[in-house]
Amino acid sequence: MKQHHRPVPAPDSTEPPQSVLQMLQKDGSQPDRVRLAVKSDLNPEARFGEQWLLIDDEHLRVMERHNGSANLRYKFALDKIQDAKVERCVGNGLLQVTVDKQPHVLLHYSNELIGRFGRVAHYLHERAEIGPDAPIPAPDADTRRCLVCGRQLMDQTSKVCPNCIQRGNIMKRLLGLARPFWGKIGMIILLLSAGVLVDLLPPYLTRILIDDVLRAGAREDLLLWLVGGLLGIQIARVIITIISNRLTLNVSIRFTSGIRDQLFSHLKKLSVDYYDKNQIGRLMTRINQDTSELQGLVSQMTTFALNIMLVIGIGAVLFTMSPSLGLYVLIPTPLVITAAFFYYRYMRPHFERFWVARWRLNATLNTFLSGVRVVKAFAQEDQEEQRYQQRNRKMLESRLQVDLAWSKFFPLVSFAFGAGGLIIWYAGGQAVLADKITLGTLMAFLSYLGMFYGPLSNLTHISQTLNQFLTISQRVFEMLDEEPPKEVAVPVLKPQIGGRIEFDHVTFGYDPYYPVIRDLTLTIEPGEMIGVVGHSGAGKTTLVNLITRFYDVTSGSIRIDGVDVRDLSMDQVRKQIGMVLQTPFLFLGTIADNVAYGKPDATRQEIIRATKAANAHDFITRLPEGYDTIVGEGGAGLSGGERQRISIARAILHDPRILILDEATSSVDTEAERQIQEALSSLVKGRTTIAIAHRLSTLYNADRIIVLNHGKLEEQGTPRTLMENKGAFYNLVQLQTQLARLDGVPTL
Amino acid sequence: MDNQVKSYEVRSLTSTDVRFERIGDTLAMTLNDGGCAVYYPWVVVRSCFPVSDDKVFLSVRDATAEEQDEIGIIDDWTTLRETDREAIAAELGLHYFVPQITGVMNVKEEFGFLYWTVGTNKGPKEFVMRDSVVHYTREIGPGHYLIIDVNQARYEIPDVGALDAHSQKLVRLSLRL
Repeated sequence: MKQHHRPVPAPDSTEPPQSVLQMLQKDGSQPDRVRLAVKSDLNPEARFGEQWLLIDDEHLRVMERHNGSANLRYKFALDKIQDAKVERCVGNGLLQVTVDKQPHVLLHYSNELIGRFGRVAHYLHERAEIGPDAPIPAPDADTRRCLVCGRQLMDQTSKVCPNCIQRGNIMKRLLGLARPFWGKIGMIILLLSAGVLVDLLPPYLTRILIDDVLRAGAREDLLLWLVGGLLGIQIARVIITIISNRLTLNVSIRFTSGIRDQLFSHLKKLSVDYYDKNQIGRLMTRINQDTSELQGLVSQMTTFALNIMLVIGIGAVLFTMSPSLGLYVLIPTPLVITAAFFYYRYMRPHFERFWVARWRLNATLNTFLSGVRVVKAFAQEDQEEQRYQQRNRKMLESRLQVDLAWSKFFPLVSFAFGAGGLIIWYAGGQAVLADKITLGTLMAFLSYLGMFYGPLSNLTHISQTLNQFLTISQRVFEMLDEEPPKEVAVPVLKPQIGGRIEFDHVTFGYDPYYPVIRDLTLTIEPGEMIGVVGHSGAGKTTLVNLITRFYDVTSGSIRIDGVDVRDLSMDQVRKQIGMVLQTPFLFLGTIADNVAYGKPDATRQEIIRATKAANAHDFITRLPEGYDTIVGEGGAGLSGGERQRISIARAILHDPRILILDEATSSVDTEAERQIQEALSSLVKGRTTIAIAHRLSTLYNADRIIVLNHGKLEEQGTPRTLMENKGAFYNLVQLQTQLARLDGVPTL
Repeated sequence: MDNQVKSYEVRSLTSTDVRFERIGDTLAMTLNDGGCAVYYPWVVVRSCFPVSDDKVFLSVRDATAEEQDEIGIIDDWTTLRETDREAIAAELGLHYFVPQITGVMNVKEEFGFLYWTVGTNKGPKEFVMRDSVVHYTREIGPGHYLIIDVNQARYEIPDVGALDAHSQKLVRLSLRL
């Protein structure tokens, strides 16, 4: 495999150097007793360096290695370690243990090693809980590695490291995707070849014209035929160009549009986890920008193909016409190639600077337009204008730089091209004077020459364009190769679920080493309404995300009607779960479309019934276009409470067995809240309902309240019991009452 | 659970109020609270403006409390006693690990990634960033840049103009300056 550059190595983790082992022996242990050894890449003085964490049967040791010798920094008996955790800092992380209730920071490590030390902390935590039987982890176990070479991936979102991207394979795959267009591609190649032949003809005819016609006493009768022939060739060229351009455009547009369809259809299958890891902006770029760029590059590849044919064709003709003059053509060739090569090298950064400046200018304008109300409300128009002008100046400067560079460079490139012609004029002129070649041959030669250097210089950046083409294709393939979440082969079918939900020792973390839900056991009966409360970050939303299987538990299990959610058909389960979120999302379409989103075949009567139950019917009918009102992304033109009631109507029409209300009323005013509460009361009837609420007053109707604290179940019971117990829930209510008094809001 | 309404007042800590000391890899503080010495065995310090000015407005927080409650803010920690400053600098150096690039040996572009080989004030380093300047670099001030690599680690170039000619050329080319 071709190595393009030295890969950035991930710091080795498991082979402690001699000096560390010697120190270990000095401290009473033996290298063969070491069960886990991991290296950090930072030293205690916050510089890149080396520290080792070694765990044998009895002790944990941390050693710093400096100038070839090791010194012991910490030593703790494993049995004394009560807990361990990692914490993220800026550009690094730290590993901390608790011994005799005292926390100790053991070491820091760079961001590259976050996974490694997360596993160490997890092991130490488990060892503290279950003792010496806790399984020893492989420090770099599930760090994503390149599928080809096995090296740790620098970019965790890719599958293969840049070193191992096989150009041949990408091309093969692209050709596979282009299969439906092979016929058209064949046509394009034929047309290009025909075009090249047609291009080669005019100089040949001018040669005959000069040598045989335009001389006294020559064949004057041929003049009309030759000129007519030249005209015919020009017409043929125009027709070929039109058809081949149309075909190329057709293929490139349809090809990339097909890829876009494939990407979207794959995207919808991917898990929520994938969307967490990939910003929306980046996904948009991949689907829109990358495919458009691919389209441009496909067209550019056609140009390359044409140029290759031209260079070969003209080269062959030149050498056939006059081998000696053909050699002269080669003299300025290196100059042309060098000039063209430097042109792309020299000009590209200037263009890129300009593109960045233009992007920034557009972003500034976009921010201003999106936030124009805020700008005006704070009277910051002048400041915004200044910001825009500043960015505009930057763009102007970078554009000037492009033009300046171009104006400097263009004459040089022209000179390189022109010099070739001069050499031929001189050498060819001498050959004509010596009667070695005719004047017509020289003129034809010069015409061919004019057609030769252009394509040749164009070909100098073929490798760069090809690289860009392959990079983008690889990015597209990466997305297509992302695996959708696994479903069991034969899922348990539940056409109608009862609504009993059991959490059985559930632990979960978005990153497995940072648990957000810890060992949660809880049963929710069918038809029960549960209120979930706790501080922000307590794991409330995570809890409901697990029921919908947006994520899978790290350990333990969640059962619906006694069946593990992982054994159920995801599609069937989700069809019976309704969600009302804090920020209602309305799709671009009519209000009726939005209400019927979960049940597209709903009748108009059903839609109206649902909106009436959701307290939305009245305001909808007051709108000039009623149910046909178009609501945009985020529902422009409607208030927060109105949007929320539409989303409740959507949930009512969906008629779910399990209903999840995630802060459904927290972003609206008191009056809107009252209306939403009324709407919700008709929605929750007879359904298992899990309501997360910040405003505790909204949960007084709940059958049971559960209080979460750092992912653990702290307290549960009826609102009345919990108030009487004066525990966590009581404290939260008290706190909220005090805050409400401060705000002047009447409390319950 | 804390049921007190939190105060919105900023409590300023001055050199007469506080003493810091490093114990192992952690920081401890003694606070003179109205004539009474209160000992915090473990505090953490967080810079309010870590990018624009890390010398001012340092939030001192009680690391033993569940929510790491703020004890107070030091307006300008360079005015503290030398021993206190050293202890804080060491703590900040560990929490905010943002190496400053002192020289750029090589930058190689491949498949949409930039592979940097640099010298930093924290030692030599090789890192990889996505070749998307608008998303992964930040201009803090004239000639002052922050680069974010694929691991979300940050590297700072305090002044591009102060780098040697070769490094400047590579930085300008790679960051499209």
